[in-house]
Amino acid sequence: MNTIVPAIGFGIVTASILAVAGVGFTLQFGVTNILNLAYGDIMTAAAFVAYLVTSAGLNVWLALVAGAAFGSVFSVLLNRCIYTPFVRRGTRLFGMIIVTIAVSLMVQNGLLAIFGASFFSLKMPHPSSVHIAGMVFTTVQLAIIAIAVVAMLLIHLLLRYTKLGKAMRATAADPDLARNCGIATDRVVDLAWAISGALCGLAGVILVMNVTAFTETTGSQFLIPIVAVAVLGGIGQPYGAMLGALVIGITSEVAAAIFNPEYKDVVAFVILVIVLLARPQGILSEVAARKEVAA
Amino acid sequence: MRLVIRRLAVTALAAALALLSVAACSSSGGGGSSPASTLVVGEFNPFTGPDAAFGPEMVGGCIPAIRLINANGGVLGHQMSCVQEDTRGDPADAVPAAQKMMATETSLVGVLGPSSDEALATVPLLNTGHVPMFVDTGQAAFDHSPYEYFWRITPADDVKGYAMALWAHQAGYTRAAAVFGNDAGAQSDVPTLASAFTGLGGTIVYNKPFALDQSSYRSEVESILATHPQVIFTEVDPQTAATFLSELQQLHGLMPVIGTEVSLQAPWLKAVNSAIGAASMAKYFQGMQPYAPTSGPAWQTYNKALLASGSKVPQPSQWSSDPYSMTYYDAVNIMALAMLAANSTSPAVFNKDVMTVTEPGSGKTIVTSFAAGKAALAAGKQIQYVGAGGPIVFTQSHNSTGAFEAAKYVSGNLVLVGAVSAAQIAAISK
Repeated sequence: MNTIVPAIGFGIVTASILAVAGVGFTLQFGVTNILNLAYGDIMTAAAFVAYLVTSAGLNVWLALVAGAAFGSVFSVLLNRCIYTPFVRRGTRLFGMIIVTIAVSLMVQNGLLAIFGASFFSLKMPHPSSVHIAGMVFTTVQLAIIAIAVVAMLLIHLLLRYTKLGKAMRATAADPDLARNCGIATDRVVDLAWAISGALCGLAGVILVMNVTAFTETTGSQFLIPIVAVAVLGGIGQPYGAMLGALVIGITSEVAAAIFNPEYKDVVAFVILVIVLLARPQGILSEVAARKEVAA
Repeated sequence: MRLVIRRLAVTALAAALALLSVAACSSSGGGGSSPASTLVVGEFNPFTGPDAAFGPEMVGGCIPAIRLINANGGVLGHQMSCVQEDTRGDPADAVPAAQKMMATETSLVGVLGPSSDEALATVPLLNTGHVPMFVDTGQAAFDHSPYEYFWRITPADDVKGYAMALWAHQAGYTRAAAVFGNDAGAQSDVPTLASAFTGLGGTIVYNKPFALDQSSYRSEVESILATHPQVIFTEVDPQTAATFLSELQQLHGLMPVIGTEVSLQAPWLKAVNSAIGAASMAKYFQGMQPYAPTSGPAWQTYNKALLASGSKVPQPSQWSSDPYSMTYYDAVNIMALAMLAANSTSPAVFNKDVMTVTEPGSGKTIVTSFAAGKAALAAGKQIQYVGAGGPIVFTQSHNSTGAFEAAKYVSGNLVLVGAVSAAQIAAISK
């Protein structure tokens, strides 16, 4: 019990990173129907942008903004210049997955060529520890939780209360029908890439704020939990991804505290498999679908 | 009909090529060399691929040795040369590379390598070809090697465990946590570490493999602290180490950490130094690596030749204190002296003399360079070669234990803080 309460706290930190990354990933797939396996590498590239910003003597908050902006612009350009031409030529889902893997390798090797095979750290003030209800956090981790909460709140407001959000949900549900209803789906897709890319960049920076040292493969190593979060929540469902992040983040940390840490991922994925056996569509997909109809 | 003729022609050509390659193999496999030909030492290691850093480390040992041997008249009238044989760190590439090397290098007298990447696949092949090999693999699978031409000049991976346990015991620690990655390389250290530390009166209070490159190790930190260790033994990759140690520092403060030679490599030091700060690094961290003294006549001879290697060894000073480069240098000298002792350049003849020129014995003349060894052998003396990496004593299975040194990282430099002798390790490993 002594280790479980702190582990829940640590799980919340992990869940915060997973939530930002997972919501971006699932939003991207939901609106564009492209399973972008280069997502983790764009996170890494954004982390390197943040590294350049902090190395130039600017503070980590500016680095967060720069990372998010880079992720946004890079994702839009990636879609416009690489993914869309393939889609227009009729490349199907499996073919697109191969294209995204190719992009992943290109980004990874590009970073390797530019920065070299080494480990890097953001230049940040040394964090202090804070005890809250039996849980221990550092100031950096509290900042990560706050960033995730604000980002999720903004995504909720965007999806629920803005025209763009409704257009994105409509495009995700049925792009042809949305187009026929007068929605400029191309513009909506561009904006979806921009928003999900910003979340991707933000996730990359908060990930390396947490892991302290990173290299050109750090983001791609984090891709499997991100995909798991998206699948667990119901692929294409941002609210499902938030819930999935909490489940995977907390169970993996509690498992590490109780069982063998070697199996922390295994326990999380066992839960994923069990949930998917019971609900193949993910935790929230039906709930979300019902709400779509009601809205 | 035309198709049949073409098939016959292709088959005949293939058969002729196969016969030629078999003939070449049989002439190189332990056949020695023709008069005045240049004797070849193969640098059989990855020069490309994920472990591409291994090959240049080998060049940093082979080239200075060859320079000195050739400058001192060579071996039995032959000059020597180093030839790079890229294994790409992959058995699928290494096996054909070994076959090609044995087929084409007719004056091949031995190889440096193979490394852990390709040893299991290529050691039997090289042994069958009668090629003496001075391996740099640490795999425990070779602890009781049956291969006649296999010589391990660096300690096996599992020997590190003994050295770490002894060092912690000398420092007075009795409760330790073992934080090792769940990869095979890191886990191979753990059984010997645990048995030795327990045998010395200590207790391993935490011993669970770590999943590598996670976003957080905070739960593991809490679990470890609940067992109240005095010291942490570790071998994990740089990113994992940086995350784990920075979280330990942030949540509860650091404690002494004893790492392996992995933690004395530049990427690890850079990542962890950035994560926990230079002052904490200097205060809490020490790493164990095979003993490689940067002093004494053998090292001075090696280093002088290394620094004078010119363009053949890019940035030679980076290998001055590299224990592996030193042992490759020693391996070439041992081969050359064994040939002189056997009065033959045929590996089948001189292989047994690798033991003769390295084992200690009463009345033997201790030599620290090829030149001194050659002179002593010419004078009819028996010799014991003590190289840049220190004395080498092979066991019956052609392994050698060697000593280990402890180093810490202060202001961007590795500083030697002590050593564990080969005799201490031998005593505890019985």
